[in-house]
Amino acid sequence: MGENKSMIIIGIISSIIFVAVGCALLSLSAETLDEIAEHFGAEEFHLWSPPMPDYEILGLERNVVANIAVGVIFTLVVLGVTFAVGKYLRSSKTEA
Amino acid sequence: MHIPDGFLDLSICAVMYAVAAIFWIFAFRKTKKVLGDKQIPLMATLTAMFFAAQMMNYPIIGGTTAHLLGGPILAITLGPYAGLISMTIILLIQAVFFGDGGITTFGANVWNMGVVGVFVPYLVFLLVVKAAGNRRGMLAGAFLGALVGDVLAAVSAGLELGLSTLSFPYSVSIAVTAMAIHHFFIGVAEGTVTAIIIGVLLKARPDLLQLPRVAPSWLGESPVVAVKAGGR
Repeated sequence: MGENKSMIIIGIISSIIFVAVGCALLSLSAETLDEIAEHFGAEEFHLWSPPMPDYEILGLERNVVANIAVGVIFTLVVLGVTFAVGKYLRSSKTEA
Repeated sequence: MHIPDGFLDLSICAVMYAVAAIFWIFAFRKTKKVLGDKQIPLMATLTAMFFAAQMMNYPIIGGTTAHLLGGPILAITLGPYAGLISMTIILLIQAVFFGDGGITTFGANVWNMGVVGVFVPYLVFLLVVKAAGNRRGMLAGAFLGALVGDVLAAVSAGLELGLSTLSFPYSVSIAVTAMAIHHFFIGVAEGTVTAIIIGVLLKARPDLLQLPRVAPSWLGESPVVAVKAGGR
């Protein structure tokens, strides 16, 4: 149990570093797909409006602190969702 | 590599949803049988780490940028079926909350990054480890698996784009070539990071590389369990 806790803590600290570096230093995104699409005039559309397009809070665009907060919060959301899915699948096995 | 809404014809989107659904069914069935208590925190931690890692965009060639995908590490440590579930969670949250990848193209993105980007690295890793049978083989397999997986995932995305003649105004050859060339460089970076992480795990937590992997049964027992930590 202790080893798992250490692993999770190291994982969360690493993730926060990734998010901070990503938002502060490596935030410029110019992916190959987008560049080619722009070159050929293809246009994307959103079937629905995502609440935080491009990982930014509306009204707080280009605010590094807000972007880091979003990144960290959603990293924890991903952690929680994956835990929940894993626990659900594990409990399904027990019931089977 | 996240394809947004509007880039793929709806017929291609439907086919890719159907193909991804088949893999989801197998993945959930197999994961239910194999996933153990020790793998759940590992799966959650790695999934969260690669969600975060995808926020770092590093420059490659021609003014373009790239980010790690994470599929190879997920596949090697957890097995490709569990890796697919992890990548699906990442892609779903990215599409729904951030518009990073589309809703209509979600099936295609899962196929490219969650199936091709996870199963191919795992298969290449197994082949290299079986051939080499030692620690260096694991590192080489991790590197090559990630490289080949990234390039093939990009080729797959290029094919989908090129075949979407109604939505995307250029041919299969242009789309596939551009995606493959750029993603070769991404693959080199992904392979290097994957090999480094596997190397660190071999030294610090070799037990995490010896857990049962959630993989198709026809692949047989992973040879990784036979490789002792620190061996050459």
